[in-house]
Amino acid sequence: YQVFESVAKKYDVMNDSMTLGVHRVWKDILVHKMNPSPGTLLLDVAGGTGDIAFRFINYVSSVRERQLQRKLKHHQSLSWQEIFESYQKDKFNSVGDSQVVVCDINREMLKVGKQKAQRLGYSEGLSWVLGNAEELPFDNDKFDVYTIAFGIRNVTRIDLALQEAYRVLKPGGRFLCLEFSHVSNPLVSRLYDLYSFQVIPVLGEVIAGDWSSYQYLVESIRRFPPQEELKAMIEDAGFFKVDYENLNFGIVAIHSGFKL
Amino acid sequence: VRCQHYPPLRALQASAALRRASDEHKKEPLTSSSQQHFDSPPAGHQPEQEPQGPRPSYTGQGGQESEDYESEEQLQHRILTAALEFVPEHGWTAEAIAEGAKSLGLSVAAAGMFHSDGSDLILHFLSECNTKLSELLEKEQKLVQLGEAEKKPIDEFLRHAVEARLRMLIPYIEKWPQALSVLLLPRNIPSSLNLLTSMIDDIWHYAGDQSTDFNWYTRRAVLTGIYNTTELVMMQDSSPDFEDTWRFLENRVADAVAMSSTASQVQSTGEAVVQGLMGAAVTVSN
Repeated sequence: YQVFESVAKKYDVMNDSMTLGVHRVWKDILVHKMNPSPGTLLLDVAGGTGDIAFRFINYVSSVRERQLQRKLKHHQSLSWQEIFESYQKDKFNSVGDSQVVVCDINREMLKVGKQKAQRLGYSEGLSWVLGNAEELPFDNDKFDVYTIAFGIRNVTRIDLALQEAYRVLKPGGRFLCLEFSHVSNPLVSRLYDLYSFQVIPVLGEVIAGDWSSYQYLVESIRRFPPQEELKAMIEDAGFFKVDYENLNFGIVAIHSGFKL
Repeated sequence: VRCQHYPPLRALQASAALRRASDEHKKEPLTSSSQQHFDSPPAGHQPEQEPQGPRPSYTGQGGQESEDYESEEQLQHRILTAALEFVPEHGWTAEAIAEGAKSLGLSVAAAGMFHSDGSDLILHFLSECNTKLSELLEKEQKLVQLGEAEKKPIDEFLRHAVEARLRMLIPYIEKWPQALSVLLLPRNIPSSLNLLTSMIDDIWHYAGDQSTDFNWYTRRAVLTGIYNTTELVMMQDSSPDFEDTWRFLENRVADAVAMSSTASQVQSTGEAVVQGLMGAAVTVSN
């Protein structure tokens, strides 16, 4: 908990510098893989500063806009709500009935996220909830998609978090997990190790003034179960069609499972 | 967390509960029940008498728990069948699949199980059409065998089969060009070619083709050509009940039949010419 409290304010800056901005691409890929349709209810756990939530909103808005345009082209009748929204073109298009709930155990991270949302102009379809991934404050069968991006590593009991994910998802719902994982390619692995242990804590000290947090970060990545093991854990929680996709040789992996 | 003694065949408890609920209300939409996979027994009729549910249990030893088991493939099949209803509105896209999943009571995120370009839906539809065609031809063959119907001449048979198959496209004709373009994506070509060739093969089989020589290839190539061109003509045909398309088909089949008879004529003429030359050579040498 303390690690992220101290890290909260500089979180985004550190992410950019550590991954040289690539984390944005990873998160984009995650939302693309999700391919959410309008009306989707997303729960983003450990979503702190809202990266996934904002991308989700952008994606859904653009899909909705395309749908509306298609309806106009076919001269289909729009509902009054849609006509009203189309007159209201601000910077961002309307989200419709899609919603994202950002849940994080850390108040500081949520605070930073809310400020970011305000600054970037995201107002609709967002909620911020304080909660523990191992014991979510939500009812059963509520969400269409559950995502946890770079958060499951920090959960003490991963199996509990997976079980909670299973519980709050609707039947047919999807579990998506974006996390650092195991690199099997030996050359990449050596370079990656070098970078992780030599460069990252230094960056942590220079930018955030915190060597030990980032040392912890790198070590926790190494201790995290590799792809196949995590896949087995997800299956144990009851998910079906569990699969993973390696990004960047396995530096990062996206695991996906369905509650069927 | 359930024990996993049978790794490949696991029950889908959530969907089982949903289906039990939907069976009680007899919610199966009419279009999907007519396209149900022909393996499963007629489902919606006796939900009260069979509390175990309509689907056959696939787990060998799994008799202890409820018999409402369904494999992932079956569920995917059901979702795709339900999604076909939404194609005229949304096209052959992941959106249609999402709407299909929603209509079954599942979350829209279930569409993530399929590829995002909608190709799974199209291929599912194609294989359903091919199955229906085979059943139709099988039935007609039985009638001929029982002597209740006359055996059609080859050109009429081919016309009838291709027309029947193309008529299955009519409900989706507006969005079918989109489907064709998706099928041409390199990723999808193996599967779509596979389905196409198996369909053509089926038609020839029921037409009585038993050739084991090069004819086998020419026949299939010719029929594939006829089928594809007729399909394309159908895409932009606006005549009532597609009359123009069927006339086009008739002409192409007539062409093909004429071509084959011409080919055999050429062959026999060729043989005759050779024999004449041989005779002349013998005469000259004497």
